[in-house]
Formats: sequence, C-alpha cells, structure tokens
Amino acid sequence: MTRHPRGGSLAPGIINQTPADGAPRGERRRALTVTVMWLIAALALLCLTSLLIGAGEVGPLTSLATLVGHPIGAATGSDEARFVMTELRGPRTLVGLAVGASLGIAGALLQAVARNPLAEPGLLGVSAGSAFAIAVALVLGASAATLRVSVAQLGAVCGCAFVLGASRLNAVGQDPIRLVLTGAVLSGLLGALTSLLLLMDQRAADEIRFWLVGSLAGRRLADLQAILPSLALAATITLTIARPLSALALGERVAVGLGHHPRRVRLLAIAVVAMLVGAATAVAGPIAFVGLVVPFAARAIAGPDIRRTLWLALILGPMVVIAADIVARVVVAPSELSLGVITALIGAPVLIAVVRSRRLPTL
Amino acid sequence: MDTSSPASTTGLGDLSDSGSSADHRQQADVIRPPAGHWRLALPMAGNEAALLIDRRALVANLGLLLALLILGALSLCLGSVTLSPLASARALFGQGSAMDSFLIHELRLPRLAAGIATGGAFALSGCLMQTLARNRLATPGIIGIDNGATAFAVASVVGLGVSLAPPALALVGAATATALTFGLAGGIGTRGYRFIVAGIGVGAVFGALTQLMLARVDIDTANAAYPWTVGSLNARDPVSLKVLEVSLLIGLLLSRRIAQALNVLRFSDSVAAGLGIQVTRCRRWALMLSVSLTALAVSVAGPVGMVALIGPELARHLSSPRGVPLVGSALAGALVMVSADLAGRLMLAPLEIPVGIVTAVIGGPVLLWILLRPTRKVP
Amino acid sequence: MMPTHHPTSAPLSAHDLELGYGHGNAGRGKSQHSVIEGLNISLPAGQVTAIVGPNGCGKSTLLAGLARLHAPRRGAVHLDGQDIQHIPAKELARRLALLPQETHAPEGLTVAELIRFGRQPHQGFLQQWSREDARVVESALAAANLTALADRTLDAMSGGQRQRAWIAMAIAQQTPLLLLDEPTSALDLGHQLEVFELVRSLAAAGKTVVIVVHDLDSACRFADHLVAMQAGRIIAEGRPKDVVTTALLRELYGIDCTLLSDPVTGSPILANMRRAATPNADNGMQASSQACVSGA
Repeated sequence: MTRHPRGGSLAPGIINQTPADGAPRGERRRALTVTVMWLIAALALLCLTSLLIGAGEVGPLTSLATLVGHPIGAATGSDEARFVMTELRGPRTLVGLAVGASLGIAGALLQAVARNPLAEPGLLGVSAGSAFAIAVALVLGASAATLRVSVAQLGAVCGCAFVLGASRLNAVGQDPIRLVLTGAVLSGLLGALTSLLLLMDQRAADEIRFWLVGSLAGRRLADLQAILPSLALAATITLTIARPLSALALGERVAVGLGHHPRRVRLLAIAVVAMLVGAATAVAGPIAFVGLVVPFAARAIAGPDIRRTLWLALILGPMVVIAADIVARVVVAPSELSLGVITALIGAPVLIAVVRSRRLPTL
Repeated sequence: MDTSSPASTTGLGDLSDSGSSADHRQQADVIRPPAGHWRLALPMAGNEAALLIDRRALVANLGLLLALLILGALSLCLGSVTLSPLASARALFGQGSAMDSFLIHELRLPRLAAGIATGGAFALSGCLMQTLARNRLATPGIIGIDNGATAFAVASVVGLGVSLAPPALALVGAATATALTFGLAGGIGTRGYRFIVAGIGVGAVFGALTQLMLARVDIDTANAAYPWTVGSLNARDPVSLKVLEVSLLIGLLLSRRIAQALNVLRFSDSVAAGLGIQVTRCRRWALMLSVSLTALAVSVAGPVGMVALIGPELARHLSSPRGVPLVGSALAGALVMVSADLAGRLMLAPLEIPVGIVTAVIGGPVLLWILLRPTRKVP
Repeated sequence: MMPTHHPTSAPLSAHDLELGYGHGNAGRGKSQHSVIEGLNISLPAGQVTAIVGPNGCGKSTLLAGLARLHAPRRGAVHLDGQDIQHIPAKELARRLALLPQETHAPEGLTVAELIRFGRQPHQGFLQQWSREDARVVESALAAANLTALADRTLDAMSGGQRQRAWIAMAIAQQTPLLLLDEPTSALDLGHQLEVFELVRSLAAAGKTVVIVVHDLDSACRFADHLVAMQAGRIIAEGRPKDVVTTALLRELYGIDCTLLSDPVTGSPILANMRRAATPNADNGMQASSQACVSGA
C-alpha cells in the first residue's frame, strides 16, 4: 500500500462524487460506512483497554469490576481502583482522545496546505517550535498551565511560518522531500536550542524534562480544560474551510474559479494547525509522526478528499495515540515509556513507505 | 599564475600565433602545469614521475592545520583552571608541577586527541558520503547511521546480555542502519533526496530504540549511557580512542587512493564510467570507509553528526572546486570539534555544554542555508 | 589542430544485443523488462551516425550499452573485434568516450579544469601531468573553440558553450570513438548549430561519432548515417536521404508529412506535418501516456 491511486493533481475521489457514476458511488459509500463503524468500535475498545490496563497495581479485572460496579470473580472494586480510574486513567484517556484528534487533523490540514504527503507537524518543526517556546517561557519564569497553551501555540505559529515561508524560497516547496528536510533541520536546531536553555536553567529543566519527551502520564482534567477553548475554535474554523480546501486540491486557479479565496483559506488552515499542535504539545509534549500516520491511513481508507480525511482523522488520531499510550505503559512496566518513542516506531516505517512510493503524490 | 591562452581563437585555435610564440618555445623545455597547480617532477628510472599539487588546496590545508594547532594549544591552556601557555608547555614536556602535569596529561591532552580524532573521522566520513551520494545533505548523521551506531553502542553499555566492546557494536549498528537506509530507499536515487528522507526514518527508529533501552534500565546505567544520546567528549573510552586514531590514519590513506575516482564521481555515474572509473567499486570503498569511520567516532564521542556536515562545508569553501577536499575536511572537522568542545566547556563554566549540542546549534543554520540557498545552476 | 594520429578502422558493433534495467533501479518502472532485444548494429568508421526515434524507443539505452554502462543480458558489443566486457575500464576510456545526457559539474569548476578530467584515463598516480596532457588539453580547447573561455567557470556560460566544454572533455580523452547522448536537447537553435558544427569537425578529423538526436531535421542535415529505432529495434538505417521516407515517419512517430529536399545540402526536410489518420497502437499509447505526464 505504498502507492496512492492518483493521477497528477486531479483527485479521483472528488471526481467519483459526480452524480454521473451513481452505482459505484453508493457502493463505495456503504463500504466506507461499514469501515467507519468498525473503526469507531475499535476506538471504543481501545479507550476501554486504556482504562483497564496500567503500570500500577490495579489489574484489569479489578478495574473492570470497579467500572461496572459489581465484583467480578475474586476482584472487587476498591477505593484505590476508583481513584486510579477517575483521577488517573480516565483523564489520561480523555487527554489522549483530544491530543490524537488534534494531531491527526492538524496533520491532514498541513498536508493539504503544503500539498505534500510528508508534511507533518512533528517533522516540519511545528511541535519543536511549541516546545522551544515553552522552554523559553519557563526560563523566563512563567508556569501557569493556560499560559503554557498560548505560548505553545505562538511557538507553533512561528514554526509553521518558518517552514511554509521557506517553502516559498527557491521552489523548495515544490519538492516535497526538500521541504521535509527543511523541517527536520529546523526541528533539530530547535531541539538543540531547547536542550541548551534547559542546561542553563535547572529549575525549568526539572519542570519539563518529562514533558519534553512526549507523554500522557499524569495528565489531569485541568490540562484538558486549558485546551478545550482552542480545540472548539479550531473545530469551528475547520468546518468552514473544509469545502474550500477540497477545491484547492484541484489547483489554485480552479479554487478561485469556484469562488473561493485560496490565500484566506490557507491562512486559516495554518492558524488551525498552530492552534491544534500548540494545544496538543502543551498538554502532551512534542509527539512526532501522528500527523503523518493518520492522514496516510485515512487516505488509504477513504481516498484523497480532504473532507473525508478530516472526519477519519477524528477517529484514527485518537486510536493511534491511545494505542501508543497503552503500549508505552505496558512495555517497560512498572516504569513508563515516552509516547514519542512509540509513535516514532510506528511512524518511521510509514514515512519510509511514503518516500518509497515511486511517484510522490502531490496533494 | 597561468594567464596564457587567449592569444588566438581564430581559425581552429592554432596556438603558434604572434604573441604566444615565446611561451610556446618555453613550453618545449618546461612542462607548464595547469592553472593553480605546482607540478612536482621526480626523476625516476625509465619514466619520469610527476605529481600535481593544487596550490589552493595546499594553502587551505596548511591554514587549517595552523588554526588547529593554535586552538589545540588554547584548549590545553583554558578550562576550569587556566594555565599560562608557558606552564602548559612545561607540563606537556614533563617539567611542570604535578598538578599541571595531571591536568594536561590525564585530562586535557586525551580530550584534545579525542576531539581531533572524532572531528576528523566524522568530517572525512561526511565528505565521502556526500560525494558518493552526490548530495551535500547526505551525511551519516542525517541518514541515520549515527543513530544506528548509537543504539548498538548503548545496547552494549546498558548490557542487554552482550558485553562486546562499544566500537565493535557501533560498527555493527552503523552497518545495519546503512543497509536499512540503502535497502529501503532502493539505492541512491537521482539527487539523493529520497534516500535522505528514508534515512531520517531509519534514524528515528534507532533513536526511539535508544530511548527505549535507556528507559528500561535503572538511573545509574542510564546516566552512564546519557552522553551517547547527545554526543560529548566527556565519556571517551581510551581503547575506543586508540582504535579510532589508527582507523582514521588508515582511512585517510585509503581515501587518498580513491581521491581521483571520487573527483570524477561528482559529475555523474555515466561520466565517471566514461572516464574509466569503476564506479561501483569506488562507491563501495567510499561507503565502507565512511560507515566505519562514523561508527568508530560514535563509539568515542556519541552522535556528533553535525561535524560531518560543517567540516566538509568549511573545507569546500576554503579549498578549490577542482577536487574533493578529503584531507581538508578531516582537518576542518577536527577544528570544528575542538572549538565546539572548547566553547562548550567555557561558555557556561563550571557547567559543561555537551559538544553535540554546540555543534547542533552551529550546524542547524548551516544546513538550512544549504537547503534554502538560491541555486544558480539552470537544469 | 585536431589530434589525428588514431587510425579509424571499423570500430564498434553489437550483435544480438539485449539490454534492460534490473529490478534494483528505483527510478524505472517495469522491472525485468527488456528495453532492447536482438539488436544488431555496426557503426561506419569516420562518420557521424545519428540515432533517432520516438521517446522511450531505447536510443539512450543503446548508447549506454555501447559504452558498457549497461551489461548486456544477451549478445555482446565489440570494439575493434574485442568484447567490451573484457576490456579494462581505463583502457576502454582511452578508446571510447561517452558524453551522457545528464551532466552535472561541481560549482566553480572552470572549462580548462573540466577538460583536464578527460586526461584521467591517460594518467596514473605517479603520472599526473605530462607534456602530452598539456598539449591535448590545449588542442581540445581549440577544437571546441573555447580557448578564450578556458578560465571561465561552467555555471557562468551559456548552454551551448557548456555543452561544447563537455564535448571538449570527451575530445581530450583522445579516443577514436565518441558517443554523445542528446547533446543538443536542451539548447536553442543557435546553440544546437554550435554543437552540430563541432561534431562535423570531429568527423572531419577522422573520428567516429555516434550521436543520439531528438530532432530529425538536424539529424538528416548533420549525420552521414541514420539509425531509426522503434520499440527497442532498428527499423531502418543508411544514408539519411535513402532512409527517411513518409512510410518510415508514419511508423516512427505516427505522423504524415511532405518530404522536401534542402535546396543547398539536399538533405530531407519535413513539411506539412500532421498526425497520421490511424496511428498504430504503440504510438497511441505513447501519446496518451505523454498526456498523463504533462498533466501531472
């Protein structure tokens, strides 16, 4: 599955939607609906698993008993189990849902704007921008959680602006791979600068060392509340620009011909990407590759139309993040692995698969 | 300098025209070297041997060597305790106080040697890789070889039941990462970008594996393995250093052997083949050298891959475009490494910034410049 | 003047040649697919041979095979009666020079420096620069009319000049045989003429030149011998005047046209071109695949 069935800049998925070919369209849609149902079921199952499994002493059976309110076999729900469920695993799962959806949608949007299947917030340095901004803020003495979100979003905006600005220089943007390289370099540079800052400020380093590697461990509902407003705003904007974005896939001129404003749409999309990535990074730290894997899988399932990609990203993103989080908890129990390690292990092969595909599809 | 030829272009360029006849007569006696070169003729039995020495490259290398000597001296003198040049010179030759002597011989000199050897190895390796991939971004650090070597070296340190010496395992890791990158990218594509991104992916996997191994072990072992993840001259291992020093010398000699072929390999495979170069064999040698040098350097200093990028870049700017600056890259790499280490030791003293972070901060902008600079060439 | 001390006996021939790209080549499509099959060719000595044909017919592959860039899957290429697979690389480079289509020089390299690389096959580690080397580089510069530009860097030159510099590098190899792969494809008309005139002067100096050309008109005008290829096979060869017929053009490119004769040189000229009414299946496919490419 390394090749996208796509010819030139025409997106066949969109053509398929013309009323002319009615029968295959209905069939496809039905198949898609079934797939989506399965995905939702899988997500629900993952959430349940995430509630039941953990590094601590509360085992799956005890957790299940607590959840259903009845003793199952020898296991009974205890206060400790209740605490773990409501205060630790519950919030963690919810945060995972939010982070996954944000990163998945941000990836899909960024790929549509950059017209590049490799564009990914983590790879392009957007997450690194957020992390660096937070490190700077901490060194300068900030600490409040809400402030952290806006600072991270500011950093994400700068990262986006840099990479997409660079893509205008010397036709770097026309070569998807060079754009990714630019992003990777920017990430590396910002990462080194962040380490340098932390070396200079031990207090800040202690505060964010575990956050920097990317993890959902110990996240509270308060963290989620801090990012909810920006998530809601981002969702609203995304709904309004989905249609113009899908027209943009046919080319700038076509979009203008259809009465859209490509510039405005792009700017809005970038703003949404920054909002989402900033929020996700503020909560969970920089996590790479989710924004690559999710749209990749979504396109493989539902074709290239950005609207479908976005809806699927809403399901697939949380699936990837929660699954990775479960693995991170289990693999080295009783300690935990960082989420970034797992997503890198999932994402790098996808990256290679995309690069290997003979003709890099432009989006 | 050679300012000969524009005497005549009329006809089909017959040279025996008015002004240049004096030149011409002289040519009969002395073989004029091409512009910017010295010709070193050695009388030998039967045939005369002649070497061409690129003047600009020679000057550049001597300059780099001088700078390296000065910086080396500085790095012996400066530190948490500053010695006067005189005191450190006396200590160096075994005449200083016991304290000074310890400082120089036990701490600073080995560190300087490690800096020079790793810097030289990384940069030479980078120069070879760039040449064979025909892409200035294709350095071992970027295509995941550093990370592969690191992952395996860390595995030996945290001891996953294996107690082989880090250099040996680093070699295995580097070879594995190289094989993966080249295998997955399906060889070096045109302009090599595709293969670089495949390398980034491979590097990410090995980076994650390193993290995973570090997460599995208790904090003490993790601290011992930490320098491996950022790159530092702090935790150098004397045996690995010896291995590296010897290999660097061998590597320099071997790379001189294929220098001519590498010069032509810059054009394109077909041009090189047309000029009688055995392209595949030359590539294989260069790749092997590059991978082993990187691995051995990693086993001493960890992944300081940026040097592999900055060193050759610096050397190319100082040297002439006529040849691949192999020796120049090694010297420039050593220079960069030593100065980055010195800066890292002094900037936040008594805190020490690992040399890997310093080079990453310097190297990032260099990389961005390479990527974003306007290309003059019309395809 | 041109170095002419090489004899020009019947040099290069291929017998029952089959060439293709292995599966390891990521850039290529169908693996294991042979581009050229059962091909026989013999190049006339001291003449300019032009290979023409539609895109993807195997022209460049053939040239690469003749220069040993590809090992044949079957058959053999003989250079002066010797299988080129058995000739050492360096020796081959002294007997046969190749200018590939895709050339790329490091930044800042001057013309003279480029041409000097052509001497590499004649040099050794201890013989890096001889009187002969100096003389040959000078005469290659002169032959390509580049003496005045010797110290100019390649990136500061026009396309035609740059292409001449590359040809001069091949000349400096002092081979009796030169293979040039589309040396004019990216050049405008004036620069194309520069290159073609240089090619003619090489043949006049006794060298055998093989040149892959895109433009049939120029091929007819400047070549002594024309080889028309279609789908990996040679479908016609001989003097341009004899070979180029309306039937051939229909078969090659799927076009109909009126053939005129150049009032000065007598070489064929294509006029009143239009697509043939019933293009054969191959060309139809090619046309549509080209449309895809241009749409991408």
